[in-house]
Amino acid sequence: MDTSVTERRIRWAACQIGAGLLVQLGSLLVVHPLAFVAFLMVGCPLVGLGIIVYLIALVSSDSPPAS
Amino acid sequence: MPASVIVLFCLAAAVIALFIGFRVRFTRSREGKMLAFVALFALPIMAAWAGFSEQMDRAESTKFCLSCHIMEDFGKSLYIDDPSYIPAAHFQNNRVPRDQACYTCHTNYTMFGTVTAKMHGLRHLWVQYVGTVPKPEAIKLYDAYNNRECLHCHLGARTFEQGSTHNKVPDRLSLIKSNKLSCVSSGCHEFVHDVASLKDATFWKEKR
Repeated sequence: MDTSVTERRIRWAACQIGAGLLVQLGSLLVVHPLAFVAFLMVGCPLVGLGIIVYLIALVSSDSPPAS
Repeated sequence: MPASVIVLFCLAAAVIALFIGFRVRFTRSREGKMLAFVALFALPIMAAWAGFSEQMDRAESTKFCLSCHIMEDFGKSLYIDDPSYIPAAHFQNNRVPRDQACYTCHTNYTMFGTVTAKMHGLRHLWVQYVGTVPKPEAIKLYDAYNNRECLHCHLGARTFEQGSTHNKVPDRLSLIKSNKLSCVSSGCHEFVHDVASLKDATFWKEKR
């Protein structure tokens, strides 16, 4: 597989994780039920999805054969 | 862990993850791969778990429960200057922790009580923002209040076990313990929040 595809996936994963963590961070700044929902329904899925994309990028990347 | 530490941790994890995202060529080196694994796997999981734990703690706070406008009257009822009002008497005398006053009485002390309470909370949110918001005095519990929640603290307490009213009639105590006679039934501890009568009530002003 082309390396750039793996790198694109890692970039995509990093953006999702970064965005998810920023949402989680924002939700921690206020004590309100909507912040709780934003954390659970937006932050956690974004982070989870990013981790899955990263793991897919890892397992699908071609590594050079061990000599 | 203090909330400020969790916020800083989330911020640091987000910055590192975004750094990897914008400098993805960095992951071609061995060190870069290791940093990417930490930034895109280990740190996000730790940050999300710490945040989740903090959010679950916050969801049990009185401030959290009273942050919706419709709950304001229930918050006021905690300050009614009348010891026959059970929530007020408990709140004002520190029989429940003041910062978790709602949760202490309105969770159910079973294996999945906390989860059930949180699901009810999500349903409240749905009604608040999507459904038709009822008047505060029209709000009812999902199920009749279970004595189990009272007995979680009062069972074994001298005032409960040996209280004259509880022992006035034979078997009354066993009926209470088996939830066949409700603690909040008429003639017992019947005044609970009673938000409809708030306008006529006098309120306790805490001296600070």
